Amino acid sequence: MILALRELRRRPGRFATAGVILTLIAVLLMFLGGLLDGLIQASTGAVRAQDADVIVYSDNAQASLARSRIEPEVRETIELLSAVTEVGGLGVVQLGARVPDAGPRDLAGVALFGYELAPTGVPDTPADGEVYADEVLRADGVEAGMELLLGPARSPVTVIGFVSDTSFNGQGALWASPATWRDVLDANRPDARVSGEVFQALVVRGDAEPDDLAAMIDRITAEYHTASATRSLSVPDAVNAIPGVEEQQGTFNQIIGVTIVIALVVIALFFSLITVERAGLYGVLKALGARSSTIFAGLVAQAVVVTLIASSIAAALTIALDAALPPGSLPLAVSADRIITSVLLLLVAAVVGCSFSLRRVLRIDPASAIGSSS
Amino acid sequence: MFLALAEMRRAKVRFGLLIGAIALLVFLILFQQSLQNGLLTSFVGGIRNQDAPVLVYSVDGQRTVQGSVITPDLEALVRGTDGVGEVGRWSQGTFTVVTGGETRMTGGGGPGEDAVDASIIGFDTEGLGTPSDVVDGRLPTAAGEAIASDADAATGFAVGDVIRVLPGGFEIEIVGLARDVQLNASPTMYVPYDTYLDVIAAVNPDAGTPLPSVLTVRPADGVSDAEVSTAINDRSLELDALPRETAADETPGVAQVRQSFQIIFLLYALVIPCVTGLFFLIITFQKAGALTLLRAIGAPAHRLVSALMIQAALIVTAGFALGTLLYLPVSQQRLGGIPLRFETAAVVLWAGVLTVLALGSALISARRVLAIDPVEATTGTGVGR
Repeated sequence: MILALRELRRRPGRFATAGVILTLIAVLLMFLGGLLDGLIQASTGAVRAQDADVIVYSDNAQASLARSRIEPEVRETIELLSAVTEVGGLGVVQLGARVPDAGPRDLAGVALFGYELAPTGVPDTPADGEVYADEVLRADGVEAGMELLLGPARSPVTVIGFVSDTSFNGQGALWASPATWRDVLDANRPDARVSGEVFQALVVRGDAEPDDLAAMIDRITAEYHTASATRSLSVPDAVNAIPGVEEQQGTFNQIIGVTIVIALVVIALFFSLITVERAGLYGVLKALGARSSTIFAGLVAQAVVVTLIASSIAAALTIALDAALPPGSLPLAVSADRIITSVLLLLVAAVVGCSFSLRRVLRIDPASAIGSSS
Repeated sequence: MFLALAEMRRAKVRFGLLIGAIALLVFLILFQQSLQNGLLTSFVGGIRNQDAPVLVYSVDGQRTVQGSVITPDLEALVRGTDGVGEVGRWSQGTFTVVTGGETRMTGGGGPGEDAVDASIIGFDTEGLGTPSDVVDGRLPTAAGEAIASDADAATGFAVGDVIRVLPGGFEIEIVGLARDVQLNASPTMYVPYDTYLDVIAAVNPDAGTPLPSVLTVRPADGVSDAEVSTAINDRSLELDALPRETAADETPGVAQVRQSFQIIFLLYALVIPCVTGLFFLIITFQKAGALTLLRAIGAPAHRLVSALMIQAALIVTAGFALGTLLYLPVSQQRLGGIPLRFETAAVVLWAGVLTVLALGSALISARRVLAIDPVEATTGTGVGR
């Protein structure tokens, strides 16, 4: 082990090429992971933030807020359930917002939510005409106290504060009262207008487990409102039901998986070649009493150290890339969790890749090594 | 040649691992090339492959069809712009539909029907905002008819299928298929404008009459697409006219998808020459003694270099062939709503790029071989020592 680490210190150039390849692969892993996290965060923040057990959509809405409509009588039925403690309406409309001092064609994409039960990190419902803005909108020049004009009708809303991680479909969220949402929707999207006390979805808190609560709600609405049955989902299920989320996760994870296999093959290739090169040296070490396990541990230690160095450089490069990208250009979200996960995966690949050399180390015969040396 | 092949035969695992690594990299690059093209086509194929030369959005729409609303005064401005020949209305919405019906029916969904998201586009002028490449059937002419994307034919949108829109149960019959006309990565149907209005009314009884999302424009004779776009944009800061290709490329998300994939491709393309270069460098180091001896007994340097380059070429060829074989079945699949295709042009392009990169990286080892001094065979030194 000490010999292996000493070799790394004295002849780092020998490991430089493998280190460069692993660095590139680590950057790839962290970049792919960051892209996945960024895409998911930007699509799902508003749903993830819901402080609820269940989100109730209309049955035929495919868990899309924009297409869901919950009538007041359906809400009343749900409120009658003993396991339900609180029910709040939720609605959204996606529009362009005119920001003061921005160019006349330079609009910020926003998702205006009307809510009754405050999501996590969002204060209680503001007064009509006021909104809390997601902090991603700061990149568009939005500031507290500013009046934004929404949609073609130029519906005015005033920003009174900021919240974080509540983006929806890649747009920064604005959190408003139900009346404000209804007015803005009515003025700007006549084809999506909702009347009276209709909401697009209900946010439900209760005493039962979320899945049980969802089943109860769907059962009772199917029984009493055949034409307006509901589809209720726990918050994690509602996040996964957002179109594209599961597909994005599946595709990116497969690509990341194959990239890990490539890292494994590269490490296996490199250390099997190193082992072949040092067969004579290992024979001498064995003749002097070194065990195969000690020699193999040295190889693993080298692989782990090279991988750690490559991962550190890759992490720095990925963070630098993230910092260099202009806000809003790529949905990249580099997080400590993602970097640590990538490093752990690479370390596993390094150890497994090294194990391909184990057989070769075990097969080295000290006697023949001494013979060939002499 | 003999030396190169003999060595590869004797060290199957070593060379096999390298071929495997290159094959996996090639597979990933080609798969992601298909994914990128499929993603972009399913996002904006409905814009790129329709026949209106110019699309006019409202600035509020931020270049998305569904987000854009053209008010009557804006429409009047466009119709009155110099250089505008013909103007049509185009509206789009996303709806829940059920597939699986082969005949018109009434009432609720039945067994075998699947609820999916679908984009419905209403057009009011044939030849101005209708699919440009009809591959089966015809364009819709009557109320309740639609033409769909050929990519969705296998998922319940084939000619003769009846689609029901929920809620309300409005029925639409598919009468034609067009090539690559998906929008927003979902099944897409083009219907006559009145049918679109009927769908809105059936789905949301509270809805007012929807305004057109976009205007489709054909320039007058002698006026280019760019000129008419500029003329329209000059009429109002509320209008955003774009030639068809620009409209597709400027759709939010398209540039981000392209940039993301370019970075990914660049990184993968860098890994391949590094892996190949590393392999041959180590092999050359390991064979230093033998190579020096061969030079000392009269083997010309170019023969040794040829053997090295032949090995590199064979490995890249085998790796590329294996990677393409892995890619072939995957490229026939659908990924969610995104149909993948075997991208022949990408296969040819990457074959060329990767061969050049891999052979280029092997040249580093070739330089070391050329630097061998045969005299070193008598002194015990050699390449890399």
